[in-house]
Amino acid sequence: MPKASAARKKVTQKKITTSAPLATKKKDAVFPFTAIVGQDEMKLCLMLNVVDPRIGGVLVMGHRGTGKSTTVRALADVLPLIERAEGDIYNRTVKEVEEQTKQDGTSRKHSDIKHLTSEIVPVPVVDLPLGATEDRVCGTIDIEQALTKGAKSFEPGLLAKANRGFLYIDEVNLLDDHLVDILLDVAASGVNVVEREGISVKHPARFVLVGSGNPEEGELRPQLLDRFGLHARITTITDVKLRVEIVKRRRDFDAAPDEFLEKWKDEQTALRERITAAKKLAPRVELPEDMLSLIAELCMNLGIDGHRGELTVSRAAAAFAALHNREVVTLDDVKSVVNPALRHRLRRDPLETIDAGEKVERELQKILSAQYSEPVL
Amino acid sequence: MNQRGLSFADVVGMDLAKRALLLLAVDPLLGGVVIPASVGSGKSTLARAFANILPDDTPFVELPVNATEDRLIGGLDLEVALSTGKRVIEKGLLARAHGGVLYVDSLNLLDAGVSSLLMDTLSRGAVVIEREGLSDIHPAAFMLVATYDQTDGEVSMELLDRIGVIVPFVAQNDAETRAEVVRRIVQKKRAEESGDENDLLRGLILAARQLLPNVIIYDEQLDALAQTALELGIEGNRVDVFAARAAIANAALDGRSDVQEQDLKLAAKLVLMPRATRLPEDDVPPEEPPEQQLPKEEPKNQAENSDSEEPPDDKPEKTPEELQELLMESIESELPKNILAMPFMQQRKAKAGKRSASENSKRGRYVRSQPGDLRNGKLALVPTLMAAAPWQKARKHARATDAKVVMTKDDIRVKRFRDKSGTLFVFIVDSSGSMALNRMRQAKGAVAQLLQNAYVHRDQVALIAFRGKKSELLLPPSQSVERAKRALDVLPTGGGTPLASALMLAYQTVIQVRSKGMKQATLVLLTDGRANTALDASQTDKQKIAKELQDLSAMIRAEAISSVVIDTQVNFVSRGEAEKLAAMLDGKYIYLPNARAEHIAAAVSA
Repeated sequence: MPKASAARKKVTQKKITTSAPLATKKKDAVFPFTAIVGQDEMKLCLMLNVVDPRIGGVLVMGHRGTGKSTTVRALADVLPLIERAEGDIYNRTVKEVEEQTKQDGTSRKHSDIKHLTSEIVPVPVVDLPLGATEDRVCGTIDIEQALTKGAKSFEPGLLAKANRGFLYIDEVNLLDDHLVDILLDVAASGVNVVEREGISVKHPARFVLVGSGNPEEGELRPQLLDRFGLHARITTITDVKLRVEIVKRRRDFDAAPDEFLEKWKDEQTALRERITAAKKLAPRVELPEDMLSLIAELCMNLGIDGHRGELTVSRAAAAFAALHNREVVTLDDVKSVVNPALRHRLRRDPLETIDAGEKVERELQKILSAQYSEPVL
Repeated sequence: MNQRGLSFADVVGMDLAKRALLLLAVDPLLGGVVIPASVGSGKSTLARAFANILPDDTPFVELPVNATEDRLIGGLDLEVALSTGKRVIEKGLLARAHGGVLYVDSLNLLDAGVSSLLMDTLSRGAVVIEREGLSDIHPAAFMLVATYDQTDGEVSMELLDRIGVIVPFVAQNDAETRAEVVRRIVQKKRAEESGDENDLLRGLILAARQLLPNVIIYDEQLDALAQTALELGIEGNRVDVFAARAAIANAALDGRSDVQEQDLKLAAKLVLMPRATRLPEDDVPPEEPPEQQLPKEEPKNQAENSDSEEPPDDKPEKTPEELQELLMESIESELPKNILAMPFMQQRKAKAGKRSASENSKRGRYVRSQPGDLRNGKLALVPTLMAAAPWQKARKHARATDAKVVMTKDDIRVKRFRDKSGTLFVFIVDSSGSMALNRMRQAKGAVAQLLQNAYVHRDQVALIAFRGKKSELLLPPSQSVERAKRALDVLPTGGGTPLASALMLAYQTVIQVRSKGMKQATLVLLTDGRANTALDASQTDKQKIAKELQDLSAMIRAEAISSVVIDTQVNFVSRGEAEKLAAMLDGKYIYLPNARAEHIAAAVSA
């Protein structure tokens, strides 16, 4: 649809140029991930999901004004690259396109199949804004095609763009219920199905769901909470030195974004390389039997239903090991991830006064001291 | 008045608000200015006058309180779409304010969805459109100028947090702003000869904008601001950035290239103080804020000699701790008498109460449309036409018809409304012991009184009685006076006092109602507070009972459920247990041994 975007650009640009004084802030400059001060748990959780997307996403909940959305939006720049069929809106590999085309005889690309080439693109990070409507999330009829030619062609939505990447929802606890339902559905199946008046499309939509919000603004539906692999907590930074550093970096960035980005370029590259290497290593990381039983025992003692808890801890621990360039999961790896992997899976007892994370840690400590007969700290 | 319309300097009073607006004009990255003001205080005049001191082509967009999400974000231009087949996006209000001023009168009356959108746009500086088959990003970096009347309710804290400057409620004419005003007048005299004060201010702002990137702020000063923010219990770290910006902008406005104490003080007053959630324990704010004088070591002249060019290059002599103390002092002297009137203080008390509007398909304010069924919704005509538009060619062709519009069930969009929901009053009546009958009569009367107003306020009432081993929900949440009366007619009395069980039941009742959209709840306890039965009725251990009450109270507080404890103890030697209970619940305590129904009703709904 080159025509469509050209038309759009024309209209928007014309009006932008007339407005002057605020336009100093560069629209496309994004604060670098590595320059973000503190909030290590959130950063770790995001990186673990890049290394192993099967971990199932991150929910970041906490105080307002603590850099939740800044951090998630900064992630894009340190993500590894993926291979996809050139120009494929669903970010599929050439192989996937071929397979789908074979299955689905009606696909328009059928004839093009021999000409498919690959291209290297960054892992997509797609932002789902609060006012999004269902048709843009799932995809709908291409309006322009329909209006001009009366043709019914499918225009993919955000779920398509997010395939093999990240789908980010800021203020996830304020999201409309019917959108939540759609997301839950698609997240569970990995497939988005759109059926409407002669349009019938089924496309892969496997993405890492990242949500953030302030719990004070509203509760998250339990089914959605359960969907997230990890749950990171974020609080106000109280170390004054760090706070001063935050303000200084922010001011530097706002004053001269390009210079600031240049200054952090090496760090960004280093992190991207580290994540890329970890992603490669992750499938080979081994989870020893004793660690596996430790994880199982922990989940059992905490009374966590189902097996999602065990799976998430195992995968996250392996990803953590890979991030530290190790091929065998150690006790430290497990300890580093149990909290975000389990704190949201405990049954809620209204009379419970201790924090869920603390409970997880206590239980772990109990098992360890029983096993090792000496306290392990 | 001159030909440009209102002159900013001519708006009388609100000096602090004016200063705040000037800071915003100098550094739009402050996000916005919120001005709490009552009706008729000239707030909208001020906002419009503000537009006059900005460059000529600066957009000024007013966001009406009843705006729908569609209008904010923008959408398909139906006319162009149908006539040319082109997909053209009509800009929403947010995008139209890009590079200029977005003015919101009554920020606290914005619908929750609109308020969230505004918040999202403020942090992105852009509007992301993903709706109705359109996908685009419109830049929307604007200066938000918002006013609200505090008596109408509070603004969402999330939204307030993203707005840099919040003008305190009692705008005192302190020395700083006075000096500023005087300076303005002096300069005005000169400017009037050339005929335009607005031009003068415009010049000042432009000069300050140029100076802005070169203004130095020292680590010690940032340190002091951060420490003060911590001391005031301010949540998040965004506040530091805003405070620094405000201080820097103030220095630039005064033509200085370094931040000085008066800048920090002003930042503390406009950015930190309004966000305070706690105050230093032992310092009671003075009754009348003194006519504040500037500390002597402050080189006050510098502020006035804005033309002089010596770049002050020595670091502040004070340590961060000393600076911080100074800031706290100045904040304390500025505090309004009623500290609970401060936005973040007040909302801490009732955090869950603020989203009291619930969405439905029947009544309230039309906020947006969604696909739906006409049998249980009202048609949203324009969205329905928009949904149908793209299909027209295909459908006409397929059905070989020349009907103007071919509609199908899938096109139907119904309206979603948002409605203010009322408060649930849960009466918890102690029906143990000898006073039971008396209490029940009081409760009955109060319930009837409350329900008489219930229709207007959409309030509901529930009633729990407790005696013997457990509590009982005699009246589930209801608006019906008749039902309430009937439920109260049969009531067994006497036996133990299972207060914990009653609190638990009340808690569960409120949580259930919350999930249906009724957010505010008040517990009304009629009891002497002497609990003697635990949740597990076989247990009467005093410590266990006390612990349970404590935990339950904490839960109730955490859910921002407010409480009123009405002490019905007639004995003169009251043991104060009801008062203790009220303290635990962070609720109101009222001693009404022989209360009449209308007293209770009045006390509760106050």
